[in-house]
Amino acid sequence: MSREQQKIIKKILFYFVLAVIVVYLLFPFYWAVNSSLKSQAQLAMTPATLLPRDPDTGNISFFTRNYFAIFKNGQFLRGLFNSTIVATSTTILSLLVGSFAAFALGKLRFRGKAPSLYVILAMTMFPQVTVLSGLYAVINALNLSARFSMIFTYMLFTLPFTTWVLTSFFKDLPKEIMQSAQVDGATPFQTFYLILLPLTAPALVTTGLLAFIQAWNEYLFALTFTSIDVSARTVPVAIQYFSGEFARQEPFGEIMAAAVVVTIPIVILVLIFQKRIVAGLTAGAVKG
Amino acid sequence: MAKQKMSKLAKSEEKLALKLLIPTFIILLVIALYPLGQVFYTSFTNRTFAGTGTTEFVGLANYQRLLKMTIKELPPVIDEQTGQQKIDEETGQPVFEHPIRVLPRRPNLYRPVYNFKLAGHKYVIGAITPDFIRAVINTIIFTVFSVLLETILGLGVALVVNSEFKGRGVMRAVMLVPWAVITVVSAKMWEWMFQPTRAGLFNMLLNKAGLGSGNFSFLTNPTLQMPAIIAVDVWKTTPFMALLLLAGLQLIPNELYEAAEVDGASKIRQFLTITLPLLKPSVAVALIFRTLDSLRVFDVFQVMLAQKRYSMASFNYFQLISAREMGMASAIGVIIFILIFIFAIIYMKSLGVDTE
Repeated sequence: MSREQQKIIKKILFYFVLAVIVVYLLFPFYWAVNSSLKSQAQLAMTPATLLPRDPDTGNISFFTRNYFAIFKNGQFLRGLFNSTIVATSTTILSLLVGSFAAFALGKLRFRGKAPSLYVILAMTMFPQVTVLSGLYAVINALNLSARFSMIFTYMLFTLPFTTWVLTSFFKDLPKEIMQSAQVDGATPFQTFYLILLPLTAPALVTTGLLAFIQAWNEYLFALTFTSIDVSARTVPVAIQYFSGEFARQEPFGEIMAAAVVVTIPIVILVLIFQKRIVAGLTAGAVKG
Repeated sequence: MAKQKMSKLAKSEEKLALKLLIPTFIILLVIALYPLGQVFYTSFTNRTFAGTGTTEFVGLANYQRLLKMTIKELPPVIDEQTGQQKIDEETGQPVFEHPIRVLPRRPNLYRPVYNFKLAGHKYVIGAITPDFIRAVINTIIFTVFSVLLETILGLGVALVVNSEFKGRGVMRAVMLVPWAVITVVSAKMWEWMFQPTRAGLFNMLLNKAGLGSGNFSFLTNPTLQMPAIIAVDVWKTTPFMALLLLAGLQLIPNELYEAAEVDGASKIRQFLTITLPLLKPSVAVALIFRTLDSLRVFDVFQVMLAQKRYSMASFNYFQLISAREMGMASAIGVIIFILIFIFAIIYMKSLGVDTE
């Protein structure tokens, strides 16, 4: 075999492996899209078909009523509404409070900095499930509404995360910026919100997006705190308790349609901010 | 004079820093430390939710109920006619006493967790809350296998994506898709693929490949439950692992490979002597990070198996919401906390915190 041939074989092999990876990563999502375009009868067909087909003729036929059904279905829309409110509020609050702390930890000198950093880092790994019963008691005692409980308790994981990641971004800003602002007579706090905060805007966007996704994803607290107030259910809980319009069994067609609808916006956001997200994720996990 | 001014500045800086940190610490105090203290305290009581009885201090009783185990030997069942051990007619196996008859009943009823045979004798491990012992075992099995598979697959994906080829940007975008899917949604997607008829993807594929008659019930058959759950988690988190490892791979200077190439080292040798050793820190961090995450797994277990099989977290949820046993739920919380705390310490030790 000549060198040329070897090279070609290697290339083919490489692209084959690449194709396998792509199929592995995307196929489950493709299957959800495929199933969301099937009617109850098409879903029940055996063997399952790779494209929606008519049960009698075998021709390709798409069924779009699942998508209309979920938007007519109050549970799903309410879920989207609740999730949006909860995730947005948590994100904004965490960014606000977290950027203060991150500025102090990243740029100011004070005693007790190392222990504070340790506490924040430890909190990023805090297992939420352990305080479940304690938090439930706190929320009952304070008589918080389910939505407000979620906004408040989600900060348990979004706040340490935003603080930790933003601290590493603040640290990377050159010291000279602060010094020259101080020479110009700015107080440290002015330096923070007039000069440093605008400079970290890209980091704020990335961190905010990651915090938003975490909050959008959250299930344990949502399930627990909405167990009394059904109208406050967020998307993950709503999807889990989906009861369909026409189906007696679990309406998988509609569930898959809902799955596609909630996944697409996040995927688009993720694709737009791809590079930043990777940077933020690795900063959150790897950077010391 | 100058020195005094400096210290004044330093003092005001310190004051500002404390002011800026206060909101964060107050919030964390209310939603983390106070509830944690509450959980520790409640774990020593028999508190129930909305119960009418008074809450009493019960010491370590909750922990005993959760963790106490016993091993008993099962005596052989003797056939009265032959005086020999009875042999089961269908299976041809010797018959032993039923575990329920051997395990202690007072003060607490022990139920069997696991039977095993050793040197012709049969033993049973009993526990007061066998579901919790099983939940711990399930969680550990889940953690070991999913983290291991994710690391291997993630490393593979990272190595492929790290090489130069057309469409690398697209590939990186593709990698983020499973990560962006809500965990509950991915569990639902897979639940649908795991349908126990040929309407489900896996049964259809296995049937086409000539395996089974298209009725594997992945989520109800106890031997298939764990592999199914692990498959979902591996799909969802391999991209995250790959991204972390990719970041590590990109830190390795290209010159090293060029030098190795000049020396005539093979690709495999390059991988073993350059890539692996230099990637070790990234792998270690990613491993511990994922381990901490898997130990508290809840979503996939709760959505796909609910009360058929528990993880530690889903058993905690069950004790709190369905059984309304706050004391027990708190004790479970404490046990999970201690387990994860140990791992977190290892994580921070291996990472180190850089304060300047």
